[in-house]
Amino acid sequence: MQSKQTLRKVKIYRYDPEKGGEGQFSTYDLNIENPAITTILDVLIRIQKEQDPSISFRYACRVNMCGSCGMVINGREGLACKTNVSHLPAGQDITLRPLNHFPVIKDLVVDMGPFFTKYEDALPFFEPKMKHDEPYIIKADDPKRVDIGMATDCIACGCCVSSCTMVNNHEGYAGPAALNRAFTLLADERDALFVPRLTRALESCYNCRTEFNCTEVCPKQISGTRSIKYIQRLAVTHLKELKPLEAHPAEELPPKPPKEEPDTPCCCKAGHAADPSRRSFLKTAAGMVGIASSVGIAGVLGVAAVAPTLASNPKQWVPAGTLKDFPVGGISTIMLSYTRTQGFHSAAVNAPILVRRDSETEFLCFSSSCPHLGCSVAWDPLSARFKCACHGGAFDKDGNVLAGPPPRGLDRLPWKIEDGIIKVEVV
Amino acid sequence: MKTPEMESREPLQWGEIDPYRRGRAHVGMWAWLLQRISAVFILLFLGLHLAYTYKPFLQFMLFLTLIFHAALGIRVILLDCNLVNIKYQRYLIPWVLGIGLAIMAVVWFIIY
Repeated sequence: MQSKQTLRKVKIYRYDPEKGGEGQFSTYDLNIENPAITTILDVLIRIQKEQDPSISFRYACRVNMCGSCGMVINGREGLACKTNVSHLPAGQDITLRPLNHFPVIKDLVVDMGPFFTKYEDALPFFEPKMKHDEPYIIKADDPKRVDIGMATDCIACGCCVSSCTMVNNHEGYAGPAALNRAFTLLADERDALFVPRLTRALESCYNCRTEFNCTEVCPKQISGTRSIKYIQRLAVTHLKELKPLEAHPAEELPPKPPKEEPDTPCCCKAGHAADPSRRSFLKTAAGMVGIASSVGIAGVLGVAAVAPTLASNPKQWVPAGTLKDFPVGGISTIMLSYTRTQGFHSAAVNAPILVRRDSETEFLCFSSSCPHLGCSVAWDPLSARFKCACHGGAFDKDGNVLAGPPPRGLDRLPWKIEDGIIKVEVV
Repeated sequence: MKTPEMESREPLQWGEIDPYRRGRAHVGMWAWLLQRISAVFILLFLGLHLAYTYKPFLQFMLFLTLIFHAALGIRVILLDCNLVNIKYQRYLIPWVLGIGLAIMAVVWFIIY
């Protein structure tokens, strides 16, 4: 019984090590009667039996236990034995591809060597603190046991490493599976290798960008991100026990080339460019960015803080009073109240001024601040002088110095009459 | 452990020859990428903002990129410090972005 509905296109990635090259998809048509009970592994086995015996793929247990059949199924990592055809969108072809970030040996078979090298780096074995003759008792509701949860279920299928975009770009990054294994042992109170394990794992944890790709694809519903975050929080509470780890071989600086004649005092000379060590490049780049941004920020803040004091004070016209307030031939002291605004700063100013009116339209305005030390000067009608109370300075009615320490006469202020109001220009 | 010498293809990369890959929702990864990109745009708009201070459009764009960057940064902080259960990480992204944008809208309409 072969109908249009049950016929599915299966595209399988083929790579022949004898031919080499990039590899390409081969398309097979397969009649899948009941997608709900047909796994991708069934599909592969059937194609191998019925159509193309040269297809290579790994499998062993067929029941989601061994982690051999990890592959990319329609753009998502998963176990072929656990993914049913009905899990895939009905309109899509079935597309099978080997895992990312592993060398492809043939077709869907990848070299898991790099994975297990990194796995071993995380010390994935249990070393007890002390020998127990009796079974060690851990209660099911023990908080630490609850924390570990089902994270021990990892079957090392490599799906998380394939989905993680960071593993391939950071040589020293152990990857979610290895760190998850480290986490299950670190959270175990019987573990004797706590410090070395934490030191190694923490170095790797810095490379996690909280992307959750490993969590999305894990066939065992383990969250590698959760394990990594747990290790990092564990490290915060054990800061004193941690010692910095030596640089990973991939990150170590190559031996420095002998110094050439320094021709230009530039930081990016040829010697640096020929030494593309990742760590030194990052250090230089970080330093440059740091210097540039601090200069930028310091510049902006400095200008904002200093500029108003450097700028000349803004002058303004302030009304002193109507013409009626000033008797002709008299001298009055007026208190000016105004706001001085400068840049972002504004201040309320109360400054007395001295106004002498000689005729209807002739005025003389003095600042009441003594030129000596700035005390307030007042008109003394008895002696017909301006007198400063502080150090005995005296000025005549034109503001010239008569006695005392003032170095010059009283400062005169510009004035004008507008609509019967006398205005004085002040700072 | 050294693997024996054999002819093997270089590792396939994320999304390489993978027709259905980009249709999948790896939200956490896009959140991370969006935060990185918004950081670059903050630098750009901050520079423009210093040059042309009172331009509402520039202020709006700077504010928007800042909100995106801050919201996604808060997401990472919440997850790092275990303040949100990690099983809600998918929902956390629209929530932090939504709250950030709501705060932005309120502040923007108070200012203007």
